[in-house]
Order: sequence, then structure tokens, then C-alpha cells
Amino acid sequence: MAKIQEDRILDARGLLCPMPVVKAAKEIKVLEPGQVLKILATDRGSIADMPAWAEDTGNELLEWHEEGDHLVYYVRRGEDE
Amino acid sequence: MIFEQFRYEPLSAASYLVGCARAREALVVDPIADLGPDFYVLEAADQGLDVVAVVETHVHADFVSCARELADMTGATHYLGAAAQGLVRYDVTPAADGDSIHVGQIELQAIATPGHTPEHTAFVVVDHARSEEPWAVLTGDSLFVGDVGRPDLLVGDAELDVMDEETRAATQFRSIRERLLTLPDHVEVFPTHYGGSTCGGVNMSGKASSTIYFEKRYNLALAQPDAAAFVRFVRETAKPFPDGYARIKSYNLGLIGKDELAGATRP
Amino acid sequence: MTPAEVKSAIAEGALVLDLRPPRRFAAGHVPGALTMQFNRADLADRAELVLPKELALVVHAEPEPIAAAATAILREAGYDVRGHLEGGLAAWTAAGEPVAELPLLDVDELRERVHDYLVLDVRERFEFRHGHIAGAQLLPSGEAWQKAADVPGDRPIAVVCGDQTRSAAVASMLLRAGRDARLVMGGMVDWLERGYPVEKQPVHA
Repeated sequence: MAKIQEDRILDARGLLCPMPVVKAAKEIKVLEPGQVLKILATDRGSIADMPAWAEDTGNELLEWHEEGDHLVYYVRRGEDE
Repeated sequence: MIFEQFRYEPLSAASYLVGCARAREALVVDPIADLGPDFYVLEAADQGLDVVAVVETHVHADFVSCARELADMTGATHYLGAAAQGLVRYDVTPAADGDSIHVGQIELQAIATPGHTPEHTAFVVVDHARSEEPWAVLTGDSLFVGDVGRPDLLVGDAELDVMDEETRAATQFRSIRERLLTLPDHVEVFPTHYGGSTCGGVNMSGKASSTIYFEKRYNLALAQPDAAAFVRFVRETAKPFPDGYARIKSYNLGLIGKDELAGATRP
Repeated sequence: MTPAEVKSAIAEGALVLDLRPPRRFAAGHVPGALTMQFNRADLADRAELVLPKELALVVHAEPEPIAAAATAILREAGYDVRGHLEGGLAAWTAAGEPVAELPLLDVDELRERVHDYLVLDVRERFEFRHGHIAGAQLLPSGEAWQKAADVPGDRPIAVVCGDQTRSAAVASMLLRAGRDARLVMGGMVDWLERGYPVEKQPVHA
């Protein structure tokens, strides 16, 4: 898989559900459409709510995976946001 | 596995929080009174963990331990090497050579490594969620990064000191060579002191972690050909004594109370 | 605050906020207590999402330093925290006071007997739309304090969220409103990881 290059990183480790998504929603507004936000989270609930948020807001969840003790999400800002 | 190293710079001392997120349990290793039991409880709680065990590699002489307070506060089991039972004036759960302490999927395996002190015990860390192989070893004050624990922090009471300086040094040499350097090369070394700490010699690195391979290869004290040469090397590369160590040690042994400590909390 | 003082505060309308882990809350808590998960990073943010500021609170957290930290955090966020229960649940029961329980379910148990429950999904609308358990009703956690008493009481209520962070809070509100609430540990993440089916059709609450 090609490595995704992020334009900004949001470290939401240690935050509990639903804060990672709440913070991601705020943070992505700082990006231009097409730019990628990388989100780090330890909250297991984010596995369900991150894809839901991305779909709902017209952003694109490019990829996510577990990395050691945390989760990594790459979300590309859509046009509509 | 949750593995946090807390480096307390004023004492160049490292303590640890090791836990299993799934089981919501953690253990604390070598907690420092200067940080206090509240610190460890809150760090654990931030990660959704309860402190169920407090493990000490040995009875410290250079910093006041808050292991007893932390164990009382949380109901955790307080562990020390089995040889500590005849030395400390309080109840402690012994960790004998080969014993295991479990928190969820994490296992700490006790390795008796007398030398720096008679009860000194190192703990190998295994994360069964990943592998049965040892991943790291908490070496306390036996093996440091670039150095070894000093053998001369005696309180002057033969019953409490158990071994004299020379015996401690020679025993340290054997403990490290036979019990620690025999661990696989990849095993990460996490000590309780680093940098400027006076618990070891002048070669102690400011980096607070290493590997068995690297220490086997580049630790000057371990390069000594025999116990006698090791003892000489350690003597020649010693640092000044930690301030107030006899009083601090007496407190940690349970011989004196907090009020008699009076300002001896840091070297 | 002593158990007696906490009891008086409750009689005057204060709410006990239990910040212990969900399993411990489930095993026994001060009757009528609400629960949330503790951390220092975002306790205030999460409390603001579900708890009105007008409430007078009594913190229940163990051990002591957590109660002190939580009290400070919540007061800083503008909550009226009267104090904390000194000695925790042990002190409460030693004073002869009763405890309430919250039954737990895992997703396997829920799947097996899903028709026996009213499944209440307390996530946001967009999360619900993305995929929910067939037949589940939606009550976003931020609206739960207002609407807990409106939730039907004919069947036991299986409360679910992404994991169990928000659902624990809502389950405690339902218990307080006299409902037979059960907390689904592991929530939708566990449900999805098991491969259990989800629906995307909206269900009218």
C-alpha cells in the first residue's frame, strides 16, 4: 500500500469517546479540500464513529489501522465541508 | 501493553507504569515519593487502569520510596525480592527467583540479581498478547545503561547489609553475567537510574534505555575479565555517595519514620 | 463528605457522579448515581456533552486522588460540585446504605436474545445512520438527560454506543428514571468485529 502523506496530525490519544471525532471535526476545518488529516486515537469507540463521521460529512476515510497501542486514521477533507 | 517510563530529572530516577488495557490493570515499578502516590494513581486512571501491584526492584538508598503508601491507597500488592523479607520492618509480598506477577496479558518474571543489594531483583517483561518471548527487562540498579549499580551503599549494620562491599561487587558481576546477559540480545533494558545519578559510576549514560546486546558489547564494567577486575573497575569509576543515603535507606527499610527523614529526600 | 452528608445532599436534589470503571459501577453503586469514565484530558468536555450545569454534584471516585482531581476539573468547568464521598463505596455500605446494580451484557448475549430487549443506541444521528442494530431506537447521549423518562419501560433496555463510554452514562440515567437498563459492554465496535449484521435504514424512534 502506498504510504499516505498527511498535511496535519491530530493527536487524540488519551481522549475518550466521542472526543476524538469531535476534535477531528473541528481540526479538519483548518485544512483545504483534498488535504489529509492524520488522527491518532486510543479510544476503541472511534473504530465505529470515525468512518460514520467521515461518511456523514463528505470527508473520505482513506485508511485506518492499529499501530502498537493506538489507532491511526487518515481522512481527506472533502469539498462540501 | 501500556508501558510508561517516568523520568524524574532531579534524581535521575526512572519509575514505570506497566499495564494491560483490556484487563484495565497495571503495576507500578519503583515509585518515587517526590512524585508521590497521587501521581501514579492519576497516570494509571488517565489510561483506564487500576494499580493492582507495586513492584520494587530493591530497597532504595538514594530516594524515598512511596511504594507502601501507593499500595495502601490502591489495595495493590507490594512486591520486593524474597530476600527483603528478613530486612524490611513491614509486610511485603516476596518475589522469589522465577516467580511471576500477572496483570492481564502482561507477565513480569522475577530474576534474583543480588549485588547492589542482597534482595535486588530484576523483572523480565513478557506481553503475551504479542509473544511468549521476553521483550524488556526492568534492571533496577543492577545493570544500568553504560554502567552498573554501586556496591558500597551500606548502612553499617551487618544484619541489614548482609554482604560487604567486595562481596556485593563480585556478586553483582555474577548476577549480571549469568542472569541478565544470558537474556536474548533484543531484550530492552530499562533501569531505575540514568545520567547523573550517583547510584552507579561515571560511565552511566544519559539515555534511560538500552538493549542486552548493546550493554554486552559496550558496557565497560561488563567488559572486565573477572570479578576481581570488575570490583577494581567499579571502585575506580565510582561517583560521590548519594546525599543522606543511610537515612533514606533506613526509612525505606522501615527502621525510621517520615519525621526522622527530615530533608533527606533528595541527594 | 460522609455517607450521611451525601445522603442529605441527595435528598436536597444533588446527583452522585460515579467516576469508577463501568464494571465496578455495575457491580454496585449509590442508588440514583450517574456514571462517566474518568480521565484528566477530557472529563470536562465529555461531561458538558451530557450533564446540565444546573445540577449539584457529589463526586464518587476511588482512590482519593482521583476524587480530588475530578472535583477540581468539574468545578473549573463550571459544575457545582459539593464534595466527594469519602471512603468510597466501602464507607457507603459500612454506613448501612443500600447499593444498586447495573446488569451487563456482552454483544454475544445481546445477539442471542435481541428480541427480548429494547435496544437503545445513544450515539449521534450520523453514527446511527452509518449502521445500527436492526430495531434499535436512537437517543443521542446529549439528549438523554432530558428524555430518559420518555423511554418505554415495557422491556429491559439494552444500551449501546461505540464502546461503552457514552452508553454507561445513559444507562445510569435510565436506572435513575426507574427503567430496567442493561449496559452492553464493547458496544457497536464489538458487534461489528463479530460480523453481526447492521442496518442502515432509519428507524423511527
